[in-house]
Amino acid sequence: MEKSIESIWKQGFLEDNIMVVPKLNYFYNKRSIHIIDKFKRMFKINLNALVIFSLVLLPVSFFVKIPVMGVLMFILFNAIVIINKKLLKGLNKIDKNVNCYEYLKSFDDWMKAQISINKKMSRYIYPYVFLAMVSGFWFSSPFRESMHRILGSHEVYFVFGIPVFWVLAMLIIVVLLAIFGGRIYKWDLYLVYGRILRKLDELITDMEDLRN
Amino acid sequence: MSSDFYTSSILPYAGIIIKICRAYTDSQEDFEDYYQEVCLQIWRSKDKFRGDSQWSTWIYRLSLNICLTLIRKKKKNRQHYTTDYTIQNQAIEDDLAFPDESLNLLYSAIKQLSELDRAVILLYLEEKPNKEIADIIGTTPNNIAVRVNRIKERLKKILDGKIN
Repeated sequence: MEKSIESIWKQGFLEDNIMVVPKLNYFYNKRSIHIIDKFKRMFKINLNALVIFSLVLLPVSFFVKIPVMGVLMFILFNAIVIINKKLLKGLNKIDKNVNCYEYLKSFDDWMKAQISINKKMSRYIYPYVFLAMVSGFWFSSPFRESMHRILGSHEVYFVFGIPVFWVLAMLIIVVLLAIFGGRIYKWDLYLVYGRILRKLDELITDMEDLRN
Repeated sequence: MSSDFYTSSILPYAGIIIKICRAYTDSQEDFEDYYQEVCLQIWRSKDKFRGDSQWSTWIYRLSLNICLTLIRKKKKNRQHYTTDYTIQNQAIEDDLAFPDESLNLLYSAIKQLSELDRAVILLYLEEKPNKEIADIIGTTPNNIAVRVNRIKERLKKILDGKIN
């Protein structure tokens, strides 16, 4: 006689220890590896994009007659890439054979160190980018010609051949960028990696909760 | 997630969660992922439990919703995902199989049902009254009664001659 589905179900689950509950520690393994791998992928893509952008910008800047800006930006972007590739090597050294809490904590430590280095650099990077752009325009002959045409009829004081109001405005902006560079970097960082960083914080909090 | 909460409020119902997760997964890896997600979501949503149903019913509802969401996400990711396998060719991974062969066959048959029918029959097999199943699924008890009969017929056909 055929068994009913109800009896198969009941009898099947009668046996003791039939259902092995997955270990709680396993829970986060895949998640943490997934988050870190995703971050690594994004980080590498962004660094490569920066290299490509600098390589495109350089000839374009010569073409549109602002080569100073092109060269300065090329140097900057590639310096950022070299520094961050070195930082990335540290990330690849993180041992995957430890438990996932330690793995996540190591990643978090690396992340904090990386953010701190980039934040410090940003105090110089943003003013540098601004100066590169301004000098790019200032040293381009079409821009100088237009400025001379505009300023021709006015009496203007010059410092090293640059109008004093121009120098003052530049100085103010450079100082502001140096002060707020770190904050701008953090805002930029959270715009790109915000979701991953929030997930990472959430996971670490969950796991710390679990350990207590 | 505090281990106290897990031990006192989730672990006693782990059986329910395991049964549901197994009905929606085909590998040990997926099963553990689903189980993990269900436990985490229960913990995160615990403050939303208003007490107007039993804790176990609430766990059922949440587990089903999470499994259905995960299975849809998985389908989206897999372009060629197919559910039209038969009991004969569906390989049950050794580590996912139950010791009782009849139960394995029943699970395989359940996995051939639509996602909603799987939920209904799991709740029915857990001896939940039609009203509670209707509450969880979001339909009427009459509808559930008719649906359960149809599902049982379908399972009988699938299992015809395979279980003695």
